[in-house]
Amino acid sequence: MPNKLEKSIKVMLIDDNIIDLKINSKIIFISKLFDEIIQCQSGEEALSYFNTHSDQPEKLPNLILLDIQMPEMDGFEFLENYKRFPAKLKENCIVAMLSSTLDFGDIHKAEANPYVIKLLKKPLYPAHLEALFKAHFK
Amino acid sequence: MTRSPVKVLYIDDEENNLLAFKASFRRQYEIYTANSAAEGLKVLENLPVEVIIADQKMPQTTGVEFFKSIAHTYPDPIRILLTGYTDIAALADAINHGDIYRYITKPWNDLELHNSIKNAHDAYRSKIDLRNKVKELEKTNDELNRFIYSISHELRAPLVSVIGIVNLVKMEGLYNSSGEYWELIESCSNKLDYYIQKTLQYYKNNKNVSDKSDINFEKLVDEMIDLYAYSDRDTQFNLNINQTHPFMGDSFRIEVILGNLISNAIKYQKDSGHHKVVDITIEANLLSAEISITDNGLGILNEHLEKIFTQFFKAKNNKGSGLGLFIVKEALNKIDGKISVSSSLNHGTTFKITIPNAK
Repeated sequence: MPNKLEKSIKVMLIDDNIIDLKINSKIIFISKLFDEIIQCQSGEEALSYFNTHSDQPEKLPNLILLDIQMPEMDGFEFLENYKRFPAKLKENCIVAMLSSTLDFGDIHKAEANPYVIKLLKKPLYPAHLEALFKAHFK
Repeated sequence: MTRSPVKVLYIDDEENNLLAFKASFRRQYEIYTANSAAEGLKVLENLPVEVIIADQKMPQTTGVEFFKSIAHTYPDPIRILLTGYTDIAALADAINHGDIYRYITKPWNDLELHNSIKNAHDAYRSKIDLRNKVKELEKTNDELNRFIYSISHELRAPLVSVIGIVNLVKMEGLYNSSGEYWELIESCSNKLDYYIQKTLQYYKNNKNVSDKSDINFEKLVDEMIDLYAYSDRDTQFNLNINQTHPFMGDSFRIEVILGNLISNAIKYQKDSGHHKVVDITIEANLLSAEISITDNGLGILNEHLEKIFTQFFKAKNNKGSGLGLFIVKEALNKIDGKISVSSSLNHGTTFKITIPNAK
């Protein structure tokens, strides 16, 4: 975004499903709300992204869209790790969960987590993303 | 089926009785004898005895005392007490302290004792069978829970991906690029998703867990309209919600009821060029919530009105699954609610519901 003066807004997608990663990246791209999309295929990959770029705040995401059901480290386990990060890594970042779950246990758990600002449902609709964007980045 | 013979333990301090018992019953049962309570306990520790017969009058420990002492450690074997005719106090004690299945007076009658042992063994079997059945049911239930959880994830996730792809196709302007194929894919996917969601709702409603929480009808109705009117923006909603008191209720079931009715009101509409209107009126007070949902849609044939709440009933030419209203009725049954319906063909339908305030 060469002509833009304010700093670019980045979104990180964490999803083990490559197809969903592709679909949601495309939807975010078409929505033109974010300047950069960081794709991670697992919670571990996302954690290591944070570790690698811990002294480059300009590379860190401003929004994480986090899948719940993932092998090895699921969304909630990722949040357990995320919450131990130093504050400066998290201060410009919010987390929303993005899942197709209809399980009430999952829904309650997501709503109860202090780091989760919203549980978005798959399929992701640009209008829902836009509402979230307007509420937190404008 | 041949079953191993019934294992009977007989405790009596009189050696003659033990011998007589063995002589009479050794062909029918697998018999173990002991001449004191302490000896009897040793047998119990080593063998899965099914029926215990104990004499009441024994020097150290009486029969009743023995049965009391094993009430918690060996609850399963069925107990029969042998007493003399005059021993009323022991009988009263035995009956008052429960766990004794029969008492037999001495000297026993072979046939009577034989029948008692047979009945005792039947009682033992049904006790064990029941316990195994409960265990089996718990296991099945547990598996069902996991199955439902996997439906809500594994089965639905790829379907939701497909719906996501169709949305992308729309966003990129390709929806009409292959005749009506994309539209067909979309309609099949939505139908399948609808079935999965209804199946989960039905299952969850069937479970008896009910959590009561504060219901804000205005907020809930807004959410439901938001959810179901998403694909169909041209329905006009007239809301008249008047909640005078806090309302406690089962939020899941109330959501299912309102959600299904609102989605029906949107769905069963006349095809085109028609100004669609849905009126929702709610009066919620200290006692109950009176809800009325009226649409100006297709309406329901008079002869169908009685059947619409039965499972898998579908009217001809309708796109329904035959589950929505059935689930509404089932959910209302669980929370002591009532529903009534009136309809006029081609003019619309009104559902009236009463839900008690569980405060």
